[in-house]
This record gives sequence, structure tokens and C-alpha cells, in this order.
Amino acid sequence: MNTANILLIERGLVKLIKNPSAPIMGFGMSLFFLLVYNAGIGGIGSMEAFGAGGYLSFVFPITIISLAMGSSAGAGQTLNADMQSGYFKRLYLSPAPRWILVVAPMLADTISSMAFTILLIAIGATFGVSFQFGLLSVLGILLLSFLWSLTLCGFSAGIMLRTGQYQSAAIVTNAVFPLLFLSTTFLPRELITAKWLLAISWGNPVTYILEGNRFLLAGTSSASFFYIGLLIFSITSVVSVTFALRSAKKIKV
Amino acid sequence: MIAEIQIQELFKKYPKGTEALKGVSLEIQKGQFFTLLGPNGAGKSTLVQILTTLINKDSGSFSIAGLNPEANQSRIQKMIGVASQDNEIDPTEKVENLLVFQCRLFGLTKPEASKRANELTQLFELDKERSKKAGALSGGNKRRLHCALALVHRPRILFLDEPTVGMDPVARANFWEVITQLNTQEPVTVFLTTQYLDEADKHATEMALIIAGEIKYSGTIIGFKKMVNPNGVMSLDDSYLQFVKTVSNPETSKN
Repeated sequence: MNTANILLIERGLVKLIKNPSAPIMGFGMSLFFLLVYNAGIGGIGSMEAFGAGGYLSFVFPITIISLAMGSSAGAGQTLNADMQSGYFKRLYLSPAPRWILVVAPMLADTISSMAFTILLIAIGATFGVSFQFGLLSVLGILLLSFLWSLTLCGFSAGIMLRTGQYQSAAIVTNAVFPLLFLSTTFLPRELITAKWLLAISWGNPVTYILEGNRFLLAGTSSASFFYIGLLIFSITSVVSVTFALRSAKKIKV
Repeated sequence: MIAEIQIQELFKKYPKGTEALKGVSLEIQKGQFFTLLGPNGAGKSTLVQILTTLINKDSGSFSIAGLNPEANQSRIQKMIGVASQDNEIDPTEKVENLLVFQCRLFGLTKPEASKRANELTQLFELDKERSKKAGALSGGNKRRLHCALALVHRPRILFLDEPTVGMDPVARANFWEVITQLNTQEPVTVFLTTQYLDEADKHATEMALIIAGEIKYSGTIIGFKKMVNPNGVMSLDDSYLQFVKTVSNPETSKN
């Protein structure tokens, strides 16, 4: 990667460190979910369907998913600030490739989300979340989380660029939020009684990241969920980055 | 010899139907101090934006230092420096950091970037402001920083689009001292658009006059003054006003 690209990604990260409200909110929301769900309904974790990892390992993936959602709500804040101040034009007139001007802040958002995911995994491990393949499980979770985060950040930044309003980045979070409740979020598939919910959960991409993570954690799901999840979110990552780059062409410098 | 900036039959129409450029052709030689004059909305900024690859032309062709900017965007950016009407600065960053970062974007190493940032803060008298955030600077100092950022990479061609708007007389004098020095010593080719005709008259030698997207005159400033008033001596300001009046309303000016 050339120096200008690295410099722009570094700049995006420094901006996030100076103004960390979005990732910290995402992290706080995730910890809150973990605490509340485990405290409120953790007692059912002794049922066989939850496996040896108990309810904590079962509910842990939801915290990872919500972390990326919280971070993506702030995606593009650096890009937006640069456009508002006119500094984006200064960067646009530099020899740096123009695509990196859009991709760098998105990558910074994703890297920040990954850093908080690692912190969350460490907290989870401390409190007894099980990782059935050890370090490989952690790497697998990080890979899924990276693709999921990049997907959300790409769409958020793209929408923000098209509307020209920073607040509109939250549209993606709001749109994805109902998908969390139309999946196997709180209970395993075999304990869900409503057939319509089961049918919807099959078509819901969130199911594959949830179950893929559960395969890596307590092994309560099959490996196929992990592989399908990787495929789905690799495709959505490419689509979202393409969407963001196409949206960038609509910027008036 | 190929001109430093060569423009042939450039057309640009905006989506709402405004024809900003109607077949503009110009040649600016290496080392010239050129000024593009014209009333508001004449197409000056549009032409600068096309030449600096900020927007696309509809048709026609142009080259910068013999290169097609549309196919050599990165190389062209290393050759040109642009100071436009608006301050393109990150208000949350310190002056020194902004200059060093800009230098690094143009490929300078860290020590080179620090050295160049020092030179520029001295040149634009921003020494005392270097650790201040750009957003906390006075209007004049923001303009100085904006112009300094355009020079980090020692460009061979400078596009100055109304660069002294908002500068006090001392800052303006200092700015022109820097630019004329670059033009005479380096020699940097200067492409200036301005509404301050006294500045154009004092510093530029070549000019073009654009009205409603069409070039009405192209040549030396002395030649323009002679063309407007062959018998007397008029300032560029007066010559410009008389010429624009004639072109805009030929019947009235005859009377």
C-alpha cells in the first residue's frame, strides 16, 4: 500500500481516537446487552440446547453484532467533517488515489470496530465464554465481524455521501435493527415455536453471523452457518464498498 | 514547443442548462504570469476547476505540461498547486500538522516535511501560529495557511482562484511578494483569476478576458490597454470596465 493511503487511514484512526463517541457508544451498548440478557434470561442456559457454553456463550454473538452496528452509526463522520470544512477538496487535489479518500475513513471505522471487538472477546473470555477452537475461534469471529462491520460502514458512508447529511448514516443501523429480532437471537432454532419466525430466520443474513459465531464459540451450530456467513458478508462487503465509492462520485467538490 | 497550459475548444454545460464555457481556447507558456479576467459567472472558476481536474469538461481538450490531466491525474497533481476561493483547511488540526501532513501526501519524508513546513510558516509569517488549531486563526491567517498548503510540493504551475479575498493589505502584499518571487526565480507558471484588477495589472503580464463563457481577448495586458484606448494611457481597471461595457451593450457604448 502506498504512503498516501496509509497516511489517510492513519488520519481516520487519529480522528476517531480524538472523537470516539460512536465506537464507545457501540461498545457500551454491546456490554449492556451482554449484561442484561445474561442476567435476565441466563437461567435458561442450563437447558441442553444451549450446549456446554451456557447462555453467556449463546448470547455473546449478539454483542459482537450490536458493536458493529453502533460503530457504523458514526461511519463517515471524518468524511462528513472534511466535506463540511472544504478540506476534502484539498485532499482531492493531492496525488492520493481518489477512491482512498472514501475508503480510508471507512477502513478506520472498521478497524476501530475490530479493536473494540477484541476487547469484548477478552471481557467475554474473562467471564466464561467458551471458544471451542481456541485462537482459531477468535480469528474466525474477527473475520466475520470485519466483514459485517465493513458492510455496515460502507452502506452508512454511502448513504451519508448521497444525502449529504451526517445523521443519515444511522439509517443503516435502524434498518438492520429489526433483523436482530427476526433471527435466533435469544433462543436456539429448536426452541422457537413460531413457524413464520423460523421461516424468516432462514432468509435473514443476521442468522448466519449469529450461528456462525455460535459454531466457533460453544459449537451449538453447524460449520455450514460459518461458511455461508463468510460468503454472504464477503459479497455484501464488496457491494457496500462499491456503493460508497459510487456515492462518492456524486460529491461536489 | 508545447505550451505549459494548452486549451482547445473547451465546452462545459451544467445540468441546469447554464453554458459555462463555449469553446474556450488558450495557450499559456512556461513561466508566464497569466490572469483570467471576467465578470462574476463568466466561467473563470469553471475553467480552473476543469484544468485542475475537479470537474469534467463536456468536449474539447487541454494539456498541462504536455500531459493529458484526465489520464495522468496523480502526476498532474504533483505539478500543480491550487489555491481557490474557499479556505480548504481542517479546522480541528494544528497549523504545523496540516502542513506536514500535506507534505507527506505529496511524497515528502518526515524530515523533509518538517523542513518544508518550517519554510512555509516563515514565508507566510505563520511562525507564531504553528501550534494553534487552524479553526482558531484569524481570517487573514486562514488564507495564508490555505495558500501555504498549495505550495508544499513546490508546484511548477500555480492556479490561484481569487486567492487574496479576505486578506488585509499587509497579508496581500506579503502573499504577492511570495508569488512573484516564485514566478521570477523558479520560474513557476501562474494562472490567476481575480476581481482585484490592480493586483492583476501589477503582477501579471499576459491575460485573457472571458465573458459569458467566451474568450473576448487573449494577449498581453499592455496590448489589451492599447486595444481599448489606442491614444491614451488607462489603467487595467478602466480599460476592463470600458471593454466589458462595450461588449455587454454595444449600442449604449456607441452613444
